[in-house]
Amino acid sequence: MKKNRERFCSREREFVYKFKIGSQCLELRVPLKFPVQENVSYLHGRLMLLHSLPCFIEKDLKEALSQFIEGESLRDYDREAEASLEAVKSGEVDLHHLASTWAKAYAEEDHIRACKPEEPSWDEDFADVYHDLIHSPASETLLNLEHNYFVSISELIGERDVELKKLRERQGIEMEKVMQELGKSLTDQDVNSLAAQHFESQQDLENKWSNELKQSTAIQKQEYQEWVIKLHQDLKNPNNSSLSEEIKVQPSQFRESVEPNGRIYEEQRKLEESFTIHLGAQLKTMHNLRLLRADMLDFCKHKRNHRSGVKLHRLQTALSLYSTSLCGLVLLVDNRINSYSGIKRVFNSQGKEGLLFHEFRASGLLSESVKQVDLYPDTQVKNRVLANLNSGNRNGGSEDKSKNADRNYLNILPGEFYITRHSNLSEIHVAFHLCVDDNVKSGNITARDPAIMGLRNILKVCCTHDITTISIPLLLVHDMSEEMTIPWCLKRAELVFKCVKGFMMEMASWDGGISRTVQFLVPQSISEEMFYQLSNMLPQIFRVSSTLTLTSKH
Amino acid sequence: MFPLKDVEMGAFTFFASALPHDVCGSNGLPLTPNSIKILGRFQILKTIIHPRLCQYVDISRGKHERLVVVAEHCEQSLEDLLRERKPVSYSKVLCIAFEVLQGLQYMNKHGIVHRALSPHNILLDRKGHVKLAKFGLYHMTAHGDDVDFPIGYPSYLAPEVIAQGISKTTDHVPNEKPLPSGPKSDVWSLGIILFELCVGRKLFQSLDVSERLKFLLTLDCVDDTIIVLAEEHGCLDIIKELPENVIDLLKKCLTFHPSKRPTPDELMQDKVFSEVSPLYTPFTKPVSLFSSSLRCADLTLPEDISQLCKDVNSDYLAERSIEEVYYLWCLAGGDLEKELINKEIIRSKPPICTLPNFLFEDGESFGQGRDRSSLLDDTTVTLSLCQLRNRLKDVGGEAFYPLLEDDQSNLPHSNSSNELSAAATLPLIIRERDTEYQLNRIVLFDRLLKAYPYKKNQIWKEARVDIPPLMRGLTWAALLGVEGAIHAKYDAIDKDTPIPTDRQIEVDIPRCHQYDELLSSPEGHAKFRRVLKAWVVSHPDLVYWQGLDSLCAPFLYLNFNNEALAYACMSAFIPKYLYNFFLKDNSHVIQEYLTVFSQMIAFHDPELSNHLNEIGFIPDLYAIPWFLTMFTHVFPLHKIFHLWDTLLLGNSSFPFCIGVAILQQLRDRLLANGFNECILLFSDLPEIDIERCVRESINLFCWTPKSATYRQHAQLPKPTSDNSGVRSSTPYFSECPDTPKTDLSRESIPLNDLKSEVSPRISAEDLIDLCELTVTGHFKTPTKKTKSSKPKLLVVDIRNSEDFIRGHISGSINIPFSTAFTAEGELTQGPHTAMLQSFKGKVIVIVGNSAKYTAEFAAHLVKMKYPRVCILDGGINKIKPTGLLTVPSPQI
Repeated sequence: MKKNRERFCSREREFVYKFKIGSQCLELRVPLKFPVQENVSYLHGRLMLLHSLPCFIEKDLKEALSQFIEGESLRDYDREAEASLEAVKSGEVDLHHLASTWAKAYAEEDHIRACKPEEPSWDEDFADVYHDLIHSPASETLLNLEHNYFVSISELIGERDVELKKLRERQGIEMEKVMQELGKSLTDQDVNSLAAQHFESQQDLENKWSNELKQSTAIQKQEYQEWVIKLHQDLKNPNNSSLSEEIKVQPSQFRESVEPNGRIYEEQRKLEESFTIHLGAQLKTMHNLRLLRADMLDFCKHKRNHRSGVKLHRLQTALSLYSTSLCGLVLLVDNRINSYSGIKRVFNSQGKEGLLFHEFRASGLLSESVKQVDLYPDTQVKNRVLANLNSGNRNGGSEDKSKNADRNYLNILPGEFYITRHSNLSEIHVAFHLCVDDNVKSGNITARDPAIMGLRNILKVCCTHDITTISIPLLLVHDMSEEMTIPWCLKRAELVFKCVKGFMMEMASWDGGISRTVQFLVPQSISEEMFYQLSNMLPQIFRVSSTLTLTSKH
Repeated sequence: MFPLKDVEMGAFTFFASALPHDVCGSNGLPLTPNSIKILGRFQILKTIIHPRLCQYVDISRGKHERLVVVAEHCEQSLEDLLRERKPVSYSKVLCIAFEVLQGLQYMNKHGIVHRALSPHNILLDRKGHVKLAKFGLYHMTAHGDDVDFPIGYPSYLAPEVIAQGISKTTDHVPNEKPLPSGPKSDVWSLGIILFELCVGRKLFQSLDVSERLKFLLTLDCVDDTIIVLAEEHGCLDIIKELPENVIDLLKKCLTFHPSKRPTPDELMQDKVFSEVSPLYTPFTKPVSLFSSSLRCADLTLPEDISQLCKDVNSDYLAERSIEEVYYLWCLAGGDLEKELINKEIIRSKPPICTLPNFLFEDGESFGQGRDRSSLLDDTTVTLSLCQLRNRLKDVGGEAFYPLLEDDQSNLPHSNSSNELSAAATLPLIIRERDTEYQLNRIVLFDRLLKAYPYKKNQIWKEARVDIPPLMRGLTWAALLGVEGAIHAKYDAIDKDTPIPTDRQIEVDIPRCHQYDELLSSPEGHAKFRRVLKAWVVSHPDLVYWQGLDSLCAPFLYLNFNNEALAYACMSAFIPKYLYNFFLKDNSHVIQEYLTVFSQMIAFHDPELSNHLNEIGFIPDLYAIPWFLTMFTHVFPLHKIFHLWDTLLLGNSSFPFCIGVAILQQLRDRLLANGFNECILLFSDLPEIDIERCVRESINLFCWTPKSATYRQHAQLPKPTSDNSGVRSSTPYFSECPDTPKTDLSRESIPLNDLKSEVSPRISAEDLIDLCELTVTGHFKTPTKKTKSSKPKLLVVDIRNSEDFIRGHISGSINIPFSTAFTAEGELTQGPHTAMLQSFKGKVIVIVGNSAKYTAEFAAHLVKMKYPRVCILDGGINKIKPTGLLTVPSPQI
């Protein structure tokens, strides 16, 4: 079929036009390439000019030319059409395959003509219900309920930690005793077996707790979802309302929760500076930038000690959860998704306390633990990861592979990121976990570095999914270390500023220049002086909008 | 333009297919989003107007590649006829068939194939006539390439269409692209629809999609398609009852082999329609404004004039064209997306539910489910005009039919006229969004433009108030005086043969106003290319300088479907404002221009001028792109429109004032900064308030003596006979400097001399005018009348006092140059210098007999921040022959 097509397509044909000047018979021959793309009048004008044709044949030539083109094009259409019919008839193209391709196209792309009933989708319906409720008087009840769940889980975690600690202490004492006896009444063998025993009992306890946590979160989630649906139904028909009564009666205040450990840096002064910038050469789009000295996790954490603020923050985040202006955050993680340490661990505990009650598809949430995040939902991805890691030498079927994948491909590469969604972190809905390696600590990364490319992809996702506020670690590190000198910081900040500026300009062409807020975060440990150096740098890279002066003169 | 009458407006929406992540085109630039390609291709559809077709009105891009198309719409369709489940009478079937064919034939003539013909796309207007809907879908989606859904409806697809299958082609391999469907595939679809109408039921309802398609392809082997179809659906008896010619028609339509099937055009000529076709008169396209044929040729007045008034109906809005109604609908608060959301056509999933889980470094994402709300639902939603009608219910008939008399009182005297004149004083931005005001302006301009060029003067007059955005393209053409057979002229230019400039044009186009959807579409690029090439080819003495592309952009944007007009406007604009700027060696023109510009800065803002000269920030560094592109390179389109609305009313020295007005907006920052910061500031020009800029430049223009901006390389004045008609109507600010040259006019001086002078020279003629020695009121403007009919002016004579006594201009003061300044550069004290100081801020003309001294004196004054200082060209000797010098006597 392809061959046929080529034969019919780029084909040259000659247009012949005969005319008389006096007694002279002249002939005009024009090779034309079919299908003709050019406008006939332009072609005609060109012919008249190029061959200096006399004006009295102008009209006639035009008619002849357009007739010729029309006729030949029609013939081409016919030939092409006949050829494709012939191809089906002769079996060159499989009839069933053809029909099923069409049927598939209709079924997949359009729901009216294929007359396929819509399958109900739980998350979308829940989204609607939740969105309705949070914008109704029930919002407070909803938030209180969420908060209570959150408190009970954090209590559970607290209990777990206490119990684990107790166990460890007990085991420590036991072990000490045994060590004293070592060489006297006990052998190495005994010590080893005791250690093994200890380890096992620790594991048992941890498992018990994690099961319990899992269970109670599952129960909570179910309870919560059922409650939400029921509340929504009740609100819809107010006559048989049992729950709406509950709403009218102001529910109890937030349950008191024990503040386990107030962080030290909360006392440290938060520095921030805001800028309004214009991007673009002719058409300018306005965006907001903010430079902040703060901890990334401040955006996640509920500040339990100022309670009035909690509710407002929570409400704000909850109101916009299903809206088209989401808030996101970039977290830098290492490449081992199954181990959790550092920021991941802290974030995880936040996430665990801040349970996600909303069933998001493919459960990309951190509420359980990073380990269980279903990162690679289908085998296709696994295979890609496999190829990525250059370990395609495994044998066995794809089933086997996928198992292996679970075990072995939990490493992600720098520049890749996974996304988690959260309904109840204090200021964000979406977290981008961007994988970076130790390279970011070195002073010589370029704009082509995977981490930077990752940022670009993150901004692109922001574009396609209406994330209008995004927080980025400016220096691409969460904590400062000794090698990060002042020149290092300045160099890195300049790189990230410039790259983000470039990406934002690119974004304007993707989404038509929707105004966004980009927050650049620098670690808490950075000096005030350094912060101001960075805030001086920003207006040199971005064009800060001129202040509007209102004068009576005009 | 046809009036709206009783049809309605409808909107439907679909998604363009998303582009693969990070793929570049062959030119290394990112690929154009499919929605923009569709938007570009759509434009031409707006010009395909035929009574049998639903006229397209607008397309808009929503978020995430969504497109919303607005077109004429009727609630009734053939679907409703079929729903009655009764066979339709055969004469009606023939009429429907003929009307559909009329529509198809007209489309085909414009190279468009429907491909999505189905009963619910064949609409019926109130009188029961056919209107084809969605006829442009196949065209605008590049034959289905730019969308994910298949075009057409399974039951109505022609066999060859099915056989060709669905193949997506990409940009990279254009030559392997299969030919799209031809016009004959629509005839098959029509055949099926007619069959359904004849038997009164829908076909293939019991089969699923793939079975339907298979069945259609097997019709190849049968002898008589009609019989097989009838047997399949158990309606053989009905078919047998049909008259011969209907059967004949069905057979012709449902010919399996396309080579044997007739085209719509052929079918229309067929004898089956011998009864029907005489009922219809062939359609002739109404003649447009700039066409070579006589617009009034077919205009006949009925014998009895009163007949014209017979079918007066009170629904004036319905008499306006659909574009105008849609434009007003939008102004009256119409929101397409909201209408579609209300009808649940747009149901978008919250974005948080559709986020992917994981992204690779190359941007490929995983865990993202397909959003079912992105599937096609091509239901058309009727846009209710209630809100608009409600808004306009108090607007009387006078507003719709204004009288175009030449006298002043042509404001409509409806009860809203007070409101209207009040509206005229509001800021432009508000006026442009006011429904009633725009209605009045649109109707008025529409009528005036229909009477162009006869009503040229009145167009000028109204344009001074404001130009309604909907009419801007034609109004500009009228202001530029475009006339004649522009289409024929444009067609005759060779826009195809490669020329050496092609490469540069090719590089520049993808960088020119690409934030705009129209101009960034491939269609827009092609039009850019043609118009630019046409200009380069037809102006052999001029060359393509970078910037010409920007200059072309506003004209192309406004006349996107009328390249010839865009070309004509551009060709008229360049000699008027940018005479000889596009010479191969344009340095002398530009140098002179910039020198005059810096004199204008010194004239209007000496402090700024001193500072800029001090730091060496000369206009050459920043102003060349301003003037070479008439600011189109520095501003976005919407600002250019407002700027040019005024610019086109001014003469060729108005741009200087715009330049000074821009500098004044940045004044504080310029004064506070040194060279480097200024360069940085101008490399990415900050946001400029364009309305203020326009206002200030008009003000500056009024203060500028006309000869101050004299340039020897400006366009020579045209013979007065040519534009005397225009002249009388143009004094927007003041007279154009294209008055005939006399002895008292300015004489050209070498560029170096010009450069050495800080302040502009003015001609003796101007001086005489300004001193009211002869004529009065040159600075009178309609808007400025009350403020000061004439700026106060001081003539400073710097000759020595003996010469002064021998004769001087009356009212002038004498400050001899030799004693004027102290060693420190201060003015020496004296009664005359006190006078001079009291005149600071007024126009000061320095007169002397030595050009060097006068220039120096003026420079001194500028140093001391005296604004509006100028020099008399030719000195006192110029005045002498006029006999206007007076010898002082005790009293004058």
